[in-house]
Amino acid sequence: MLVSFILITAIAMFGHSEDFLGTTLINRPLVLGPLVGLVLGDLQQGVIIGATLELIFMGNIKVGAAIPPDVITGGVLSTAFAIISGKGPAIALALAVPISILAELIISGLFVFRSVFNKRFEQYAEEGSYKKIERLHIFSGLLKPLLMGLITFATLQFGAEAMKSFLNQIPAWLSDGLKVAGNMLPALGFALLMNLMFNKKSAPYFFLGFILTSYLKLPVIAIGGLGVITAVIITGITHKPPSEEEGSDDDAVQAPALIAALPRRTIRSLFWRSMTLEANFNFETWQNSGFAFSIIPVLKKLYTTKQAMAAALKRHLQFFNTSPYGSTLIIGIVAAMEEQNKKSEEFDVESINSVKLGLMGPLAGVFDSLFWGTFKVIAAGVGASLAIKGNVLGPILFLLIFNIPHLILRYNLTFIGYNTGTKFLQNLAKTNVMDKLTSGSSIMGLMVLGAMTATLMSIITPLKIGGTDSAVTLQFILDQILPNMIPLGLTFLTYYFVKKNVKTTWLLLGLLALGFLGSIMHIFA
Amino acid sequence: MIKLTRIDDRLVHGQVAFTWVPSLGVDTLIVANDKTAKDEFLKMTMNLARPANTKLLIRSLADTISFLLDEKNAKLKILVLVSSIKDAAALSIGINEIKTINFGGIRGKEGSRLISKAISITEDDIPLIRELAVRGIELEVRQVPTDSKQLVEALIEK
Repeated sequence: MLVSFILITAIAMFGHSEDFLGTTLINRPLVLGPLVGLVLGDLQQGVIIGATLELIFMGNIKVGAAIPPDVITGGVLSTAFAIISGKGPAIALALAVPISILAELIISGLFVFRSVFNKRFEQYAEEGSYKKIERLHIFSGLLKPLLMGLITFATLQFGAEAMKSFLNQIPAWLSDGLKVAGNMLPALGFALLMNLMFNKKSAPYFFLGFILTSYLKLPVIAIGGLGVITAVIITGITHKPPSEEEGSDDDAVQAPALIAALPRRTIRSLFWRSMTLEANFNFETWQNSGFAFSIIPVLKKLYTTKQAMAAALKRHLQFFNTSPYGSTLIIGIVAAMEEQNKKSEEFDVESINSVKLGLMGPLAGVFDSLFWGTFKVIAAGVGASLAIKGNVLGPILFLLIFNIPHLILRYNLTFIGYNTGTKFLQNLAKTNVMDKLTSGSSIMGLMVLGAMTATLMSIITPLKIGGTDSAVTLQFILDQILPNMIPLGLTFLTYYFVKKNVKTTWLLLGLLALGFLGSIMHIFA
Repeated sequence: MIKLTRIDDRLVHGQVAFTWVPSLGVDTLIVANDKTAKDEFLKMTMNLARPANTKLLIRSLADTISFLLDEKNAKLKILVLVSSIKDAAALSIGINEIKTINFGGIRGKEGSRLISKAISITEDDIPLIRELAVRGIELEVRQVPTDSKQLVEALIEK
């Protein structure tokens, strides 16, 4: 067992390394579950548990410093315990929720603790020694996988036996109840996502997705494709290219004449280094050292004196926070500005900071919506719908659907930022491309969400109507009217309470109770 | 109607565009900030982040007050963003409708201390906070709508 425990610990550490592996969603239960399954010799079970947990934690996303429950530790440990005890997804879920909430407290503590390093970072900047900054950034980044790996290992080593015998005592009615309750929980994830995207204008797209899957039985992947097509058609109608109006005052913002003479290799290294943006995330200065770490190749090329290097390092150790997905655009622009600063005497150094500060918020708004609200939803929808049936393609497609657009965009934005500077943004601001993109992506996201509501929550009612021999199941009648009526109703009910600002924890407990009681009273199955 | 008055020194960003606007059903976002109102570059970047189907206005504090007092705008569902406690206090004096102020994000600076994950305050802020509290304005800390409210006064005491 020891070897398995060590391997499972390694999986948890891998998940926690996501912060310096580009925020590529390798830490999601859908990805880590199968890995745990592989180690424990039951890949398929791992895939299914991963998909179940993914659906429940779907609405949990990291926006800014709002830290969601730690699904990495929670997901890995609960998947392991469920497989070891042979109890299946329902138990995984019952364990994952409390474990991830506890683990989140530890991680928040680490994010507070990391502020201690800031004095160090400043001192190294003063010395102009970028190497030490790089080292400390990575060291701090390693703390999270190391700490959480230790906790995972200790829990497995000292808790697995006890947990196994404890789980073996769970009576069948209890695990049946948990299973039904578990099947209801995705309603919460869907409702939380609806809360971000659903409104009167966009409601039809949700129902379009729902009906296409419910009546026509289209798979979620088809809805993803139809979503793209619908979005292109609709935004083509609603977003006409802007006609020349509003006295174009494009001279108001002067784009600096760019030099852009740094080798491509250097700019490319900015992209690679941006992968570690979140490594030293802390509650005081957020991604500051991540930014410094990313821009160092440019500083090295430009500043040869200790004095100039120190000034530049200090400049880039200031508070910074943006969406990692669009971060390279800012890093690229800043690279061009640093080059300008080096070449021109009268360059205003302060303008570098004002560009950074001016762009980080708005761009986070754009890229968070695009990636969390659209790509993540589509990727998880397609991935989980395959994985829930035990198909290994699920997690693979999940990673591909999210990361192909992510990495292509992130790579190109580095060069766009460097070569065109703020001009690119000005052009973007003049057209309505951004608006088109946000509207289009909410159409896609909602269609997939509608499809997920129809396919990924298996709740039926075993109630019968009529005498013993002529009994008709209620479910049969419901299906005649609208298939998947119960999941739809449940999602909207949860959405209603989310809108009423009921706390997520209460909703979670409420759904668990409803499923549990429903199962015992034979209303739901 | 003002749905929320929020202090956030990053003004428009992910948490605002992606969680607050949809969850409150806001149709008008006002950035009340003297510096931004004068800076074409900052205005341009903020316009990029404007959430779909939302109007974004970038005004000075004084213009924001007159906009909010204008009867014509009473029907709008407004989220007001300011970057500092001082600006929030100034708005709340001008507009009686503000009964609660959300503390979303204030980054640390020289001599400040962290009272919550994303809120740093300096000694100079404390009298401002006390004064707002005395006037019966609720001061709550939440980064995103689903966080549970924490009261600023209680966090200061700690």
